[in-house]
Amino acid sequence: MSEPHDHHDHAGHEHKSATPPIPAVDDAGSQALSEALRSSFVVVRWIMFGLVIVFLGSGIFTVPPNERAVILRFGKPQSGTGDQLIGPGLHWSWPPPIDEVVKIPISEIQNVTSTAGWYAMNPDGTESYVTPSLNPAVDGYAMTGDGNIIHARVSLDYRITDPINYVLNFVNAKEIVTNALDNALLDASAQFTVDNAVRLERGAFKEKVVQLFNRTAQQQQLGIVVESSRLDSKPPRQVNDAFNAVIAADQERSTTNSAALSAAATMLSVASSESNSIVSTAITDSSKLLSRIAADSTNFLGRLPAYERNPQLFRDILLTETWSRVLANVEVKWIMPDTSGGKQRELRIQLNNAPESDEEKERREKQKAEQTLFQPTK
Amino acid sequence: MNRNYLTLTVGILLVLIFGALLFTFQVRHTEVALVTTFGKPARDYNTDPDKPEPGLYFKWPWPIQKVQKFDKRIQNFEDKFSETQTSDGKNVLMTVYVGWTISDPKLFRERASGSIPRAEVFLEGSINNSKNAVIGQHPFSHFISTNPQELKFEQIEAEILAGVKETAQTQYGIKINFLGIKKLGLPESITQKVFDRMKEERGRFVSGIKAQGEAEASIIMTAADSQRAKILAEADALAREIRGKADAESAKAYEVFEKNPDLAILLLKNEALEQSLRDRTTLILDQRTAPFGLLDEQAKPASKK
Repeated sequence: MSEPHDHHDHAGHEHKSATPPIPAVDDAGSQALSEALRSSFVVVRWIMFGLVIVFLGSGIFTVPPNERAVILRFGKPQSGTGDQLIGPGLHWSWPPPIDEVVKIPISEIQNVTSTAGWYAMNPDGTESYVTPSLNPAVDGYAMTGDGNIIHARVSLDYRITDPINYVLNFVNAKEIVTNALDNALLDASAQFTVDNAVRLERGAFKEKVVQLFNRTAQQQQLGIVVESSRLDSKPPRQVNDAFNAVIAADQERSTTNSAALSAAATMLSVASSESNSIVSTAITDSSKLLSRIAADSTNFLGRLPAYERNPQLFRDILLTETWSRVLANVEVKWIMPDTSGGKQRELRIQLNNAPESDEEKERREKQKAEQTLFQPTK
Repeated sequence: MNRNYLTLTVGILLVLIFGALLFTFQVRHTEVALVTTFGKPARDYNTDPDKPEPGLYFKWPWPIQKVQKFDKRIQNFEDKFSETQTSDGKNVLMTVYVGWTISDPKLFRERASGSIPRAEVFLEGSINNSKNAVIGQHPFSHFISTNPQELKFEQIEAEILAGVKETAQTQYGIKINFLGIKKLGLPESITQKVFDRMKEERGRFVSGIKAQGEAEASIIMTAADSQRAKILAEADALAREIRGKADAESAKAYEVFEKNPDLAILLLKNEALEQSLRDRTTLILDQRTAPFGLLDEQAKPASKK
């Protein structure tokens, strides 16, 4: 009883005493295993550590100078308004699927050109062949308020003021901007006459397009602002010659007008110098008249005493003096002797004096005018 | 102990990640989501445009619940050109564009199988009906007019939109955000007639401008003529006034002659005689005229009367 017990005990002891070699064998194996495990755990730990680094490091991103970025954390924009955008530089966010970085071209000015109002061009941008009509499927045009057709094209530069909205709320924001511009162009054109749209009021036309575009952009919450705009509008090529003829006629009219103005100016200046001469002639004539009268009255007063002394003598002397002067000047003198007994006599004269010169004629007329008061004696 | 802690952490982390993948889903700002329980729509997310609710949400794992996501952003759709008659019988061609969004993912999934092209087929038809109906109610002058009272461009757009909006919302779960006319034109054959009319109109303008130019020139010349006549008349009047004054003054000077009118007349006559017989004169006298009277007296002293 005790034997087995002893044995047992011994065995237990034996076992106990025998175990050391077995664990020694075990120890070597498990030690190698644990060594291997430990080293592989180290490797795994390093790999995990590396993976964490890589994971976190993948959240590093850069924003170029002409862009901004917004982070979506679990799909939610982290910056609610535009001024909280992430600026250019190196940044970090949680890697996907936690965060998502959306980049936005903001400082860059965007450009859009209307597509609805221009005719089809060749693929290389050169003018296409002019067809007699416009095919609505390929040729764009706009209708004017007076029922005519024009070609018009607007090019807009715009800046994005609400970038989150612009990038996140539209599938293709640029397409929608283009549509809004086409719409504004057609709407504006429908309010203008053809002449105003292509020639006379192009500035107002452009302003109208921009105004309508701004309103639409606001209604559709595009979050953009127009920086500058350019308008190109012209009559259809099919009627270009007719439009040019109007311009030519307009120029001709202004030429005629200015010719008439200069002719009128000449006429008026001639009239004004004529009027000056009329007035100055009158002044000269009056002063001549007055001085002659003054001379006459002086002459009269000087001779009055002599006349009053003996009127008949004075008269005879005066007449004789005059006759002597007159007769000295007269070119041809005929003195007809008296016929005796009242007999009739005939005298034939052919006058052939040299023709009067203009100067003499003028002088004679003047004298005649002065002497209308008096009839010469005979 | 250290080893176990690490293993535990890693294990918990893995469970968390798997759990998150199974029990949660993300709804992005640009999406609407529909959760179905055993294929039956249970709840939709982020559908209210005024109150966006993107973020992380809970769901039961597959196969209990499933998540379907749709694009929430505004889609752009342009319909094809279609020819319609206005109320005054003119044919116009029109294209419109619409901006639309999926507002009711449940309905959208049911009616359009969640497919955007299918929704666009519906939109095409619906817009076309509305367009035809609206255009038929307006005369051509409501589309283009220089008279702001007559032009109904924006009203027409609003009417077309109103005709589409209701059915799109109730039948397809589509919200139409805006609608505008993209192209407006005339049938090709009509454009040629318009060109003919434009040419004819230009021709009229040319002759009108010419006539106007001539009229303007003649107005200028007439005005200048009358101005000239006025200037000369004024000058004449002034000259007459000057002469009149001189005459009046000279009349005063004649008062001197009243002292002896006989002498005055004698002097004036004498001067007149002298003036009238200046040069180039042929004078025929009889011999009784003084001073030749002297000759006569000598010849016949007896006959003197």
